[in-house]
Amino acid sequence: MSGDTGTGTEEIVIPDTVEELLGQDEVRPDVPWIVIVWNDPVNLMTYVTFVFQKLFGYSRAKATKLMLQVHNEGKAVVAAGTREKCEIDVARLHAYGLWATMQRDD
Amino acid sequence: MARTFKRRRDGRLVVTLPEEAVLVLRQVTDDLGQMVAAREPGPVTDRMFPRAYLDPTEEEAEHEWEELVHDDLSRSRTEALQGLLADLDAAERSKGDRMQMVLEKGGEARWLTALNDARLALGTLIGVSEDEGPEYPDDDPRAAGAQIYVFLTALLGDLVEVLLDEAPEDGVD
Repeated sequence: MSGDTGTGTEEIVIPDTVEELLGQDEVRPDVPWIVIVWNDPVNLMTYVTFVFQKLFGYSRAKATKLMLQVHNEGKAVVAAGTREKCEIDVARLHAYGLWATMQRDD
Repeated sequence: MARTFKRRRDGRLVVTLPEEAVLVLRQVTDDLGQMVAAREPGPVTDRMFPRAYLDPTEEEAEHEWEELVHDDLSRSRTEALQGLLADLDAAERSKGDRMQMVLEKGGEARWLTALNDARLALGTLIGVSEDEGPEYPDDDPRAAGAQIYVFLTALLGDLVEVLLDEAPEDGVD
């Protein structure tokens, strides 16, 4: 990804509940399909953050975290659900020019 | 100097650009519209219309998905580009060489996607691969494209900054 978000750090939040703790690094781990966004050299970091907020209703913190994961690790799981839901999510991400694919959550 | 994108009190976005920038955007929008309409096999089309499934055993699902999605995607891109062209055509002279456009409510959505689509296509054509952005010697055929790419990047960055400022901090965590 290209551009500078100005911040690479995040506040550390202590989870209140077990669900919150378990849910930290995965989006709904109980479902069979996942949507992955891959890093690319064109999309701006701020743009990617904005799209994650807009499409999935994520908080700024969550959207920024996912964006940084894409940027630093090359990819991130941004959504999960049934095959049909993931097909729709991938299409919406493509409409915003993000490079997204879907696969079974093995 | 006036900010490029400014939200008016009535909620409409005002875009202020030098006349030359409006002309460049017109050209870029025209070129991109032709590329989207033609969808010729190649790297630009691959980048703008990527696969949903990487798994080769899902070829049938991929095919069905593309049938369902790609025409719509092409249509929505074309509509965004036509909307952008209409905005550019409606630009009125402001101070000096500056042109001003008052977008209809929600008109920023098409600017956002059209500017990003233009960067995707151009970035693919000139082979952007570095985070720092493209720089080519003046005699390189990619130099002009790289200049436009840098201009589009700055423009989109400004727009996203405005939209992010307005977006809520809260949401699903």
